[in-house]
Amino acid sequence: MSAPYLELRGLGKSYDGRTRALDNVSLTAAKGEFITFLGPSGSGKTTTLMLVAGFESASEGDILIEGRSIGRVPPHKRGIGVVFQNYALFPHRAAAENVAFPLLMRKMPKAQAMAKAAEMLGLVGLERFGGRYPREMSGGQQQRVALARALVFDPALLLLDEPLGALDKNLREQMQIEIKAVQRRLGVTTIFVTHDQSEAMAMSDRIVVFDGGRIQQVGAPLDIYRYPSSSFVARFVGDSNILAARLTDPAGGQAEIAGIGTVRVPALPAARAGDAIELLLRPECLKPGSGLDNAARLTVDVIVHFGDSALVTGHAGGTPLRARLEGLAAQGISAGDTLPLSWATSSSHVIGRDAAG
Amino acid sequence: MRGLLLSLGAVVLAFIAAPLLIVVPMSFSSAASLEFPPPGWTTAYYGAFFGDARWTQPTINSILIALAVAVLTMAMVTPATFALVRHRFAGKSAVNLLLMLPLAVPHIVIAIGYYAYLSDLRLLQTFPGVILAHTALSVPMAFLVLSASLKGFDRSLERAAMSLGASPAATFRHVTLPVLWPGFAAAALFAFIQSFDETVVALFVSGRDSMTLPRKMFDSIRTTADPVIAVVSTLLFFTVAALVILPMLWRSFSRSRS
Repeated sequence: MSAPYLELRGLGKSYDGRTRALDNVSLTAAKGEFITFLGPSGSGKTTTLMLVAGFESASEGDILIEGRSIGRVPPHKRGIGVVFQNYALFPHRAAAENVAFPLLMRKMPKAQAMAKAAEMLGLVGLERFGGRYPREMSGGQQQRVALARALVFDPALLLLDEPLGALDKNLREQMQIEIKAVQRRLGVTTIFVTHDQSEAMAMSDRIVVFDGGRIQQVGAPLDIYRYPSSSFVARFVGDSNILAARLTDPAGGQAEIAGIGTVRVPALPAARAGDAIELLLRPECLKPGSGLDNAARLTVDVIVHFGDSALVTGHAGGTPLRARLEGLAAQGISAGDTLPLSWATSSSHVIGRDAAG
Repeated sequence: MRGLLLSLGAVVLAFIAAPLLIVVPMSFSSAASLEFPPPGWTTAYYGAFFGDARWTQPTINSILIALAVAVLTMAMVTPATFALVRHRFAGKSAVNLLLMLPLAVPHIVIAIGYYAYLSDLRLLQTFPGVILAHTALSVPMAFLVLSASLKGFDRSLERAAMSLGASPAATFRHVTLPVLWPGFAAAALFAFIQSFDETVVALFVSGRDSMTLPRKMFDSIRTTADPVIAVVSTLLFFTVAALVILPMLWRSFSRSRS
């Protein structure tokens, strides 16, 4: 692998000199990569973005683009495009003038800048809206203008700070696809900040999970989903059952769960018998019937039908358990029923241990 | 009940509006002194006002002083407001209090203070003296108006501008100032009007050459009770009302257009 395009090196930020908003954040990204910062509010994801954009300065660490430090470069000289949550379009300028703004700041002749702005508006599907003022446009249209404005000057990086937070669900999904398409077409290295895990799953090459001012895990979306490194990540990304278990045979992959009994788990040769582990079982990995490696009997407390699927909440022995069943398979189940369920050992994951064991 | 409330409202409205509007018919009165109702009608006093340098000169003085006050006030209040709204520093609340002080201190006290102070500086009865004193009175209002609009200003606009390559100066010129323009205009307008109709301080510190219009009116009503005063009042009333109302009309017009 070649030298990283973007490197965050030990970034730290403290506002009052004592408590740390950000602690030792290190990360590299390849050119053209789409990286999502995912985490709850106050986790440090937005702070990191602000440091990269240059709106705030890091207390420790450095930021490098193609090996050159930009840590002391003022924001207007960084050449980084930013899309804000509230779009931050200039209300006194029409859409095309908003998009031309970064070009005019770079001393491009006005006619040329307006032509390039029009071209960029075309790329986001707003070729006929150049004369509209922001207040005359819908949220989705404003978002596209903001995207065009952040991309028109060929930025070294594109930063998106929860850009879809204010949009309704359908529009949000549509914008996810559009942003991704434009990003891929221009090949711009992108950092996308969100607290919405499904958005992160849908858009990213890699996800960086933040919590408490630290990076918790970095990985491809499916790897994070399947092999979370902590119970925080397991709970934050996707729905989950996290079962407390005790290893009975680490090398052979056997453990004991209260209320369910002996189950097979991925083998953990390095662990010792008697170790407490947390077993992650995604609700959709639980299947009706007893055909798979491990079985449990679920007493149903609540069932919620979504049509394509149904979420069953209940308990097995004393252990609470959630199962997501196919919609048709769940027909006829009601609260109080006892349901035989089973799961494949390979679909489970021991939290905090490597996938290979 | 409803009728009672309505008539009560009408009485209150009349009580407030009547003294404001009574000067209008009086300005067209043919009487030799101020009196209501007018015995007959004439526009002669309008001619007397515009043709008499003893009236036009104070009018011009007032306009020049108010313009200078608006400029000086904005030059001082703009950086002060940005500092107080956007930054934390030691003694911030003391500075805040100091800026608002002219609003709390009775005008007559300020007038006496400036009388003593400006006479030491040999600025009594001069334009700079009146301008300084009026600026001190305008600062709190302008600060209140400007800080209200600055607090409502979305700073991500500035961040966006900077990320797009605008230097801090260019950001202020191309984004902050145009977006906050109505706030700046309102603050300057308040400063202008405040100076234009200020009387108490002007009585003490303005002199023969720097006489303002309200002071001239005061002097005039003590000596002659000339109906020209009603003319001036009418003109003042409509000028100030226009200054306040026109921006509102313009704003609602440009809003309905979009």
